[in-house]
Amino acid sequence: MATDELVHGYAEALFKVVQAEGDVDRVEDELYRFGKLLESNHELKQVLSDQSIDHSQRVKVVEELLGDKVSPHTQGLVTFIVAQDRARQLPQILEEVSKLAAEARQHVLAEVRSATPLDDDQRRRLADALSKATGKKVEVKVLVDPSLIGGIHAKIGDTVIDGSVKHRLEQLKEKVRG
Amino acid sequence: MQNLLMLAAEEDPEGIELILPAVDELVWGTITFVVVAWVLMRVALPKIREAIEARERAIQEAKEGADRGRAEAQKVLEEYKEQLAEARSEANKILEEARQSAEQVRKDLIAKAEQDAQQVIERAQGQIEAERTRTLDEVRAQVRDLAVVVAEKVVGESLDRKTQTKLVDQYIEQVGSMNGGSNN
Repeated sequence: MATDELVHGYAEALFKVVQAEGDVDRVEDELYRFGKLLESNHELKQVLSDQSIDHSQRVKVVEELLGDKVSPHTQGLVTFIVAQDRARQLPQILEEVSKLAAEARQHVLAEVRSATPLDDDQRRRLADALSKATGKKVEVKVLVDPSLIGGIHAKIGDTVIDGSVKHRLEQLKEKVRG
Repeated sequence: MQNLLMLAAEEDPEGIELILPAVDELVWGTITFVVVAWVLMRVALPKIREAIEARERAIQEAKEGADRGRAEAQKVLEEYKEQLAEARSEANKILEEARQSAEQVRKDLIAKAEQDAQQVIERAQGQIEAERTRTLDEVRAQVRDLAVVVAEKVVGESLDRKTQTKLVDQYIEQVGSMNGGSNN
């Protein structure tokens, strides 16, 4: 099975479970954030993907990591994927779940990275601005990324709108290098 | 004379008889003299003449031999002198050629040395220039990178909460002013 099909298949299955269990917004948000955590933490991803480690031990790592910090549904779904030896595709699967959830709400998903946390008003205004810019109803997922130094980096599908200080400094660096 | 002798004998016969030989002695003496002279003329003289002629021939031959030897020696000497002159001329020619060859070799060596030196200098200049350019490029790149690092640090430290909020608001405002989506 091709990776895209596999990811989409797992994502659809997970989303249906989330819908069936209710509390979609929370579980989907928790899954999304765990996916991003895993994406940026290569070591954790390696441990969860390592088939030489027993299933039970890898599942135990997930349980200790998430514990009572997330809903039992979130923990159960992540544990299921790890137990299926699909931890390597877990970030893509969980991102796809969020996309499906947004699509179900007739929204498109915007991955927003900000150097500092955004308050509710900023989130709302940002979602409105992105919706206006793309012509679609945009749902933002905000991740705090201090490496941006300042400003915001938004990704909607293949479209990137980068207003971060880091990006401007990189542009400056390129310009200076000529 | 005989008359004188007879007169003397008539005047003083005893004294003259003491001095003058007897006639028969004179006859016989004359005959003997003639015989001896004839024998000498017929026998000894040809022998002596022959010996003298032989001696003269020997001397003449020796003289001719000496002349030939002298001529031969003179010829050899001339040949020797000629050969010597040729050898000297040849030696001079060889020396001149050697001198010219040495001069040419010296000129070639100098030209080659100058050419090599010029190449070495040009190569060294090229290397120095390349090294200088490379060093300058490296320094420029380091200065640029350092400037950006300093800018990052300065900017990062100077971004307080208020500025961060302002940046977010500016971003939202700029995104909101876009139509149909574009890459910033």
